[in-house]
Amino acid sequence: MSESAIIPPTEVATEVRAARSHIGRRILKNPTGLAAIIVLSLIVLSAIFADLLAPMSPTTPNIQEVLAPPGEGGHVLGADSAGRDVLSRLLFATRFSLAGALWAVLIAAVIGVTSGLIAGYYQKFFEQFSVWVISIIQALPGIVVLLAARAVVGPSLWIIMAVFGLILSPAFYRLTYAAVVGVRNELYVDAARVAGVGDLSIIGRHILSVVRAPIIIQAALLSGIGIAVQSGLDFLGLGDPNVPTWGQMLSDAFSRMYQQPLLLVWPAAAIAFTSIALVLFGNALRDELERAAGKPKKRRRGSAAYTPDTSGPAPVVHAEDREDGRPTLLEVNDLVVGYDQPDGTVKQVVNGVSLKVKKGEVHGLIGESGSGKTQTAWSILRLLPAGGRIVAGTVFFDGKDLAHLSEKEMTKIRGRRISYIPQEPMSNLDPSFTIGSQLVEPMRVTLGISKAEATKRALGLLARVGLPNPQKTFDSYPHEVSGGQAQRVLIAGAVSCEPDLIIADEPTTALDVTVQAEILDLLRELQNDLHVAILIVTHNFGVVADLCDRVSVMQHGKIVETGPARSIFKDPRHPYTKSLFDAILEDGAARGPLAHSADRNMLEEGAAR
Amino acid sequence: MFRLKRAAAVALAATLALAGCAAGGGETGGGDGSGGGDGGGGTLTWGVIAPASTFAQKDMRWANESPYGQAVYDSLLRANPDFEVEPNLATEWEYNEDNTVLTLTLRDDVTFTNGETLTAEDAAASLLAFKGGASPNATLLRNLADARAIDETTLELTLGAPDPGMLSNLTQNAGLVAPAELVDDPAMATEPVGSGPYILNTGETVVGSSYVFDKNEDYWKPEDQHYDKLVLQVYTDPTALLNAVQGGQLNVTNVVDKTTVPQMEAAGYTLNRSELDWSGFLIMDRAGTLVPALGDVRVRQAINFALDREALLATMGAGFGEPTTQIFAPWSPSFDEELDEFYEYDVDRAKELLAEAGYEDGFEVTMPQTPSVAASTWTLMADQLAQIGITVNYEQVQATEFIPGILAAKYPMTWFQLQMGPTDWQLSQFQIAEQATWNPLRYTTPEVEEWIATIQTGTEDEAAEAGQELNRYLVENAWNAPFFRPTVTFMSDANTEAVPQTGNAVPYLWNVQPK
Amino acid sequence: MLRFILRRLLAGVILLFAVSSLAYLLLYLGAGDIARQILGQEATQEQVQQLNTRLGLDQPLLTRYFGWLAGAVTGDFGASWFTNQPVIAAITSRLAVTLSLVIGTVTLTAIVGTALGVWAARKRGAADRTVQIVSVLGFAIPGFLIAIFLVNLFALNLKLFRPTGYIPIGTSFTGWLSTVTLPIIALAIGAIAAIAAQVRGSVIDTMRQDWVRTLRSRGLSENRVLYKHVLRNAGGPALAVLAVQFVGLLGGAVIVEQIFAIPGLGPIATQSTGQGDIPLVMGLVVVTAALVVVVNIVIEILHGFLNPKARIS
Repeated sequence: MSESAIIPPTEVATEVRAARSHIGRRILKNPTGLAAIIVLSLIVLSAIFADLLAPMSPTTPNIQEVLAPPGEGGHVLGADSAGRDVLSRLLFATRFSLAGALWAVLIAAVIGVTSGLIAGYYQKFFEQFSVWVISIIQALPGIVVLLAARAVVGPSLWIIMAVFGLILSPAFYRLTYAAVVGVRNELYVDAARVAGVGDLSIIGRHILSVVRAPIIIQAALLSGIGIAVQSGLDFLGLGDPNVPTWGQMLSDAFSRMYQQPLLLVWPAAAIAFTSIALVLFGNALRDELERAAGKPKKRRRGSAAYTPDTSGPAPVVHAEDREDGRPTLLEVNDLVVGYDQPDGTVKQVVNGVSLKVKKGEVHGLIGESGSGKTQTAWSILRLLPAGGRIVAGTVFFDGKDLAHLSEKEMTKIRGRRISYIPQEPMSNLDPSFTIGSQLVEPMRVTLGISKAEATKRALGLLARVGLPNPQKTFDSYPHEVSGGQAQRVLIAGAVSCEPDLIIADEPTTALDVTVQAEILDLLRELQNDLHVAILIVTHNFGVVADLCDRVSVMQHGKIVETGPARSIFKDPRHPYTKSLFDAILEDGAARGPLAHSADRNMLEEGAAR
Repeated sequence: MFRLKRAAAVALAATLALAGCAAGGGETGGGDGSGGGDGGGGTLTWGVIAPASTFAQKDMRWANESPYGQAVYDSLLRANPDFEVEPNLATEWEYNEDNTVLTLTLRDDVTFTNGETLTAEDAAASLLAFKGGASPNATLLRNLADARAIDETTLELTLGAPDPGMLSNLTQNAGLVAPAELVDDPAMATEPVGSGPYILNTGETVVGSSYVFDKNEDYWKPEDQHYDKLVLQVYTDPTALLNAVQGGQLNVTNVVDKTTVPQMEAAGYTLNRSELDWSGFLIMDRAGTLVPALGDVRVRQAINFALDREALLATMGAGFGEPTTQIFAPWSPSFDEELDEFYEYDVDRAKELLAEAGYEDGFEVTMPQTPSVAASTWTLMADQLAQIGITVNYEQVQATEFIPGILAAKYPMTWFQLQMGPTDWQLSQFQIAEQATWNPLRYTTPEVEEWIATIQTGTEDEAAEAGQELNRYLVENAWNAPFFRPTVTFMSDANTEAVPQTGNAVPYLWNVQPK
Repeated sequence: MLRFILRRLLAGVILLFAVSSLAYLLLYLGAGDIARQILGQEATQEQVQQLNTRLGLDQPLLTRYFGWLAGAVTGDFGASWFTNQPVIAAITSRLAVTLSLVIGTVTLTAIVGTALGVWAARKRGAADRTVQIVSVLGFAIPGFLIAIFLVNLFALNLKLFRPTGYIPIGTSFTGWLSTVTLPIIALAIGAIAAIAAQVRGSVIDTMRQDWVRTLRSRGLSENRVLYKHVLRNAGGPALAVLAVQFVGLLGGAVIVEQIFAIPGLGPIATQSTGQGDIPLVMGLVVVTAALVVVVNIVIEILHGFLNPKARIS
């Protein structure tokens, strides 16, 4: 029970990192969040001002008015089994129930967060120790502990709830622990450590700020549980019978359920409303954090009426240096890609891109991070992240407009006709399946061949992409191979179904410099052998020079310059293209994999908004 | 993928099963109530509110657990519903002149379920074992000095002192008989051997939840076996019990929560009323040792006048009961109807009395409070006393510490619910006499002890007269402040007749039969 | 694998020892005058004294504890103070009932919770909000109210099920279903909410993984990727929640069994803790703690099955 509604810690922790904007303001704009906050504020206010609001004393009994129905004897909501005014009791009960639940959550948070921080940051002994203590807390029946506590200290709301907080603390511990382990080796934490910042200061400044939001969410959810449990404990008679709480009221009503069932309604409704408001608040907060982290959520179907903005100067087009008789394979015209925003607007990330890829040609799409090149690549495959869609334009491939194809037909195109090589090899293999099965499955589905046949082909492909021990790699799980090997596997996968076009999204960026060259060699070889067209997305002119027949330079979601590679290298005309070249010359080398790929992802996605 | 397929299969199986059990449900519902009609056979399903603590004859309990004992054992004597002593295993009995030797003649045609014949030897061994056993009622035999078999069917009991309750004691757990060689066998606790009308079916029984008994085919008194099968089904949760009643799963049942009685009646069950306890304030500090004020009879009377008994009955007893100011039972010869209304609710009179006693500003008194009684009940009781200026300070104690605290003489007064009787002698030994368990502060007066002595040793008429005087004295001197006698609510379905038993929490087994 | 299990079992035994010692201490701290509690209001003080001696309650706590421990390691947990039934017999005769309830609930929860979670994750929008609201309600409404509602509607009015009692699965399967269906639903509602929320979260999370795009780029349909690849990856966290739920359900079963008068561990758990029947409570503590240990080992093995990185070599 105490674990229900708990969010997976890692999910939030990673998302929160990007959320530097003011979450407080965002949550007020979220309708669910606002409603929850209003309800919670009303509840809290009535708790604070119970003395002023309550029409009667919550504790004075009246034997003549026992179970008086609502309205009788001035009792707006009736009177309870001791003739006390239900409304007044409800108001005061709100005060004590909320305070009790918050007190438990506070205790749980203090214990759980502190130990989670320490265990996550220092690990080793303290971690082992915490795991043990938590196992004991979980295996020990809570009721035994609470009964003992009640026996030793007597019926005290505060002490019983403090003990409950202790029982609840593993929830905070786990959350904090996971978040801390997630960030303790991050660059900025490392940097702080190298810079000689003390552990305490690091924990306080860098780590606590990361876990703060998830802790608030967890606290909101656990407060709901705290209220429910507090009621349960009072219900069992473990609480202080002289303190009005929702649990006391519920217990009292329950004993008169068959005489005055209405009595059950008030405390039950109070508990339900409060916990629902708390959970919705927590969920809204989480949703806002998700959104802040660049994961748009809602899709308004009504927004199709959006008129795309494709204004801006036309691209610089270099003349073809020789007539190329090869037919056009892919023709993108005025492609606009946008993401639906919660407010109904569309955030455009590709603003009218047009490009052509001919059969057997290597086309480089170059530009800085956030220029929209990856979005363009994904939209050709129709594999944009949730919320993203092709707003306008056409994507003709072999005569069909992919932008308007049904999902079923699109599935037939993918793999078989157009395939994809991703940027980050390690995160692009399903960790739960062997490499072999991930190669075999698409071949069986798209080519309709037998398992044995697909296995044979897969082993052949693994040998072809230069893996020394194909059978071993075939049987391995993704975490058992290196990044370079994984990228070879992904390349093998991309060519496995003999596509006509491969979209390679920065295929070398995440790899070591030496491996980069090998992978580029492999791509060149394959391209020569298979005569497959490649659309290669990169920010690296070295790659372009190495591979490409044709180049398109992208900036701010538009193509600014396009033409044969040789021509552009010789004579870059657009200032942006020029500045890219200047950057290479200054560095003297192509930009390596310095930027953390995750950051890059984020930036690109950030741009997508 | 396979998960979803399996889910569909399970859902299908469940749907099919539901269709099947919808039809079957009706059948079983009828089967439960099939005890009626033919005057024999069928199953009696009886809702009990306490699991069997033990089946061992020497440790046997009574009251709510009496059906367990009566199913597997026979008692030497038997009480009819009005608590008059009748023959059972013993067909005749006789006291000597000074009431210290009781001779009983036993039947010779009774056999235990292990095949052996029941003899006076077994009866003697059983009585002595019970006296030394762990039953809370072991004190019923405190005056039994010895028990011996004169011959196969003649049993002689020697009493250390005359005991007017002895005969009625032998109708209860104290009179149950087990085979002599087995009385101390620990196995008796779970696999009893007796001569009773039913045999515990240990295979079908789930200890603590459901006790199943089969008819004893060799029973000596087949006319008392109204059913082929007896199921004692334990319900400790009032909601579950009400659901079982509304679902027609029980023939008869005791009631956990009296507020559910109207619902049970609406479901076609009959309410059978009887009385057993009195509920109210035990004013234990009559000498004023802990709270001097309570030593003054006017203060104790003021407390009695301050009680709105009708209202207390309505809230605490859900209206099931009789307001009273006496602790003697209506079936007792000492009972006086007038004493039910000796103290009318009169706050002014109460305040006057307090003022006369010099407590016009009231005083404080500490009482124990336990969560096993609804919190609002305590609030209301305190409020009754607050009206006349007496402040009650409750000490919160666990359920397990409540009785021990009271009996350790820690409190000057308390609320409690105590059994009345079943005989005047037992009542006096239980809660009036100087050494009575429920007189923890050991307060007494010479006249009280004298009346008790007369009840013990006097003739029936003398005892009745002494009892009446004792009763009036206790009420006038406000030894306690009773609120009411709660009704024992025992429900029976349309096919079953149950005759309430005077002096017991539930009817005796043989008094529950098909209509 | 075997070594892993043995190591885990050893750790479990140590945990059991720690938990039982702590529970024993706590129980005696919380215990009142047990002999009086057993004997009730009619017994005299002398009888109470005698019983205290007979139960060994007049001995020092440590002596009693070691006595208990010595018995416990040989499987002898003594007998209930209130029903005189041997603790082992009391628990074994009831464990199957509770387990059949809990396992039924876990199965139902896993199926329905996963289905709802996937549905919410895929459809988002209205479906998502529906599941969210249902989850919150399942979480906010006290279990006993749900149980009472179910009994009144389906057992008393529609007469589809038996309102109280239990028929063992061995006696009659349909009979068993007629007695456990409502309790299982009552128990499952909260658990389904938790699992659905977890599955929703981890499916959404997993759907964002890069490899999902890559697998789809190979021509695998969205459904195939979802049911074969995403669910398997999302299964790990869901399993962890299910394990926690399993433990929670043991607690939830106590209340539900009470309301449905099912002769599982619930009734003796409430009775024994309420009365202070320490031998029985200790037996229950050890059995539940052992169940927790076993469930965690099973979950870890399952987790390894789902996630090769966590696989035990």
